Amino acid sequence: MEGTAHDYQSSTLAISQTLGLQMPEVPGWTCCGSTAAHQSDPLLALALPAKNLLAAAGTTVAVGCAACYNRLKTANHHITRDSETRKQVAAVLGADYDGKTQVLHLLEILARDVGMTKIAAQVKHPLRGLKVVPYYGCLLARPPEVTKFDDPENPTLMDKVLQAAGATVVTWPHKTECCGAGYSITDASVVRRLTREILVMAKAVGADCIATACPLCQLNLDLRQKDTEKEAGEHFGLPVFYFTQLLGLAFGIPRKKLGLRSLVVSPSKLLADRGIPA
Amino acid sequence: MNAPAVTTLASGGFFAEVSQESQGNLSACLQCKKCTSGCPVAGWADIKPHALVRLAQLGLKDELLGSRMIWECTSCQTCFTRCPQQVDIASLNDALRRMSRRASQVNSKTTVPAFNDIFLRTVRKRGRMFEAGLMASFKLRTMQLFSDMGKLPMMLWKGKMPLWSGKVKGRKEREELFRRASDRNGGSS
Repeated sequence: MEGTAHDYQSSTLAISQTLGLQMPEVPGWTCCGSTAAHQSDPLLALALPAKNLLAAAGTTVAVGCAACYNRLKTANHHITRDSETRKQVAAVLGADYDGKTQVLHLLEILARDVGMTKIAAQVKHPLRGLKVVPYYGCLLARPPEVTKFDDPENPTLMDKVLQAAGATVVTWPHKTECCGAGYSITDASVVRRLTREILVMAKAVGADCIATACPLCQLNLDLRQKDTEKEAGEHFGLPVFYFTQLLGLAFGIPRKKLGLRSLVVSPSKLLADRGIPA
Repeated sequence: MNAPAVTTLASGGFFAEVSQESQGNLSACLQCKKCTSGCPVAGWADIKPHALVRLAQLGLKDELLGSRMIWECTSCQTCFTRCPQQVDIASLNDALRRMSRRASQVNSKTTVPAFNDIFLRTVRKRGRMFEAGLMASFKLRTMQLFSDMGKLPMMLWKGKMPLWSGKVKGRKEREELFRRASDRNGGSS
């Protein structure tokens, strides 16, 4: 998250500090291999996440990215369910990993472990009047037997966190639609077609902005929004926040620490209109 | 397409091979098309998700391995999540991608395999992603030198594209891990 999603990283660390959560990095973590690995080599796609989970044994791994989360959970799922897979992964890794390091997305930690009462207690500037649609993307809730995140068709963890921050969460059907993910690089037209659907729906239900919980979802909806508008001949002008940034605003954390300047579609006017200090 | 499914399923060959490679429970498909109605890319796919499974059952190898769809699937897992029969079409697609590469039948319109190779090479050498380097290598490899160049100033300005990135220690161990994975797959990765 130090590169494209440095704003997600800084806002996550800032709200964690407010809530008293310890977030040390996994020592020497490496990339999970993402889609490139599972499309190319199923064993490598399990061994790369397992390497990190082994390094973090005995702790809970908190994940911000939906794709990393999915790959780490997939590794645990297969390694604990099938002893032959565990053996094969151990042979690649050069060490045995039992598949038991706990993996949680930040939303699970906030909504379930920290809880709404503690979150609400830190809110200094409720996001009153801000109409948000929570966008979860594909890989947090799917497939449900692997991630065990929330309801796969209608997850509500982010809804609850945003409500605790005082925002008005708008009901919509596109919570788990796909943004096009890595096609951002290989074929951006796929991303423009898919994000258009999401932006049109967000606008249609009357949202002011979108809240995301994954770096690639945020990038595709925000950085490519102008191109999508141009291609579709429509104007959206929808700021796309990380949910951690919205929570940080409610906690009264300075906008610099939340990386708001890095948003391509500027939220300044919206926040000023709603009287939210930033 | 009118061949009786039972005969073809029993005949082994390509169907047995893709079933083994995907572990996708492919014979359970009842062609309800729930996968296709939820698929984000089905609208322009050359072979729709339910048809991928049917073609696999019928053993139509060349149609599948040369298709655009297997490279356009976003791996969003909607098909598998909604399937009433637990047919894992996302895994089927991963298996078809690997088989397509092994058989050198990759559709000429896709740049995804080139991207995957560069992505994994970056992980092997550096340990983590280095977006600027990844983009530069990909553009050189696919000769799409000027696509998206308009995004670069914005990404630099927003601090989203660092031009330098540290490497994670342990390159030798990573190289060994990649080699062991490749060896176990018969050198296919």
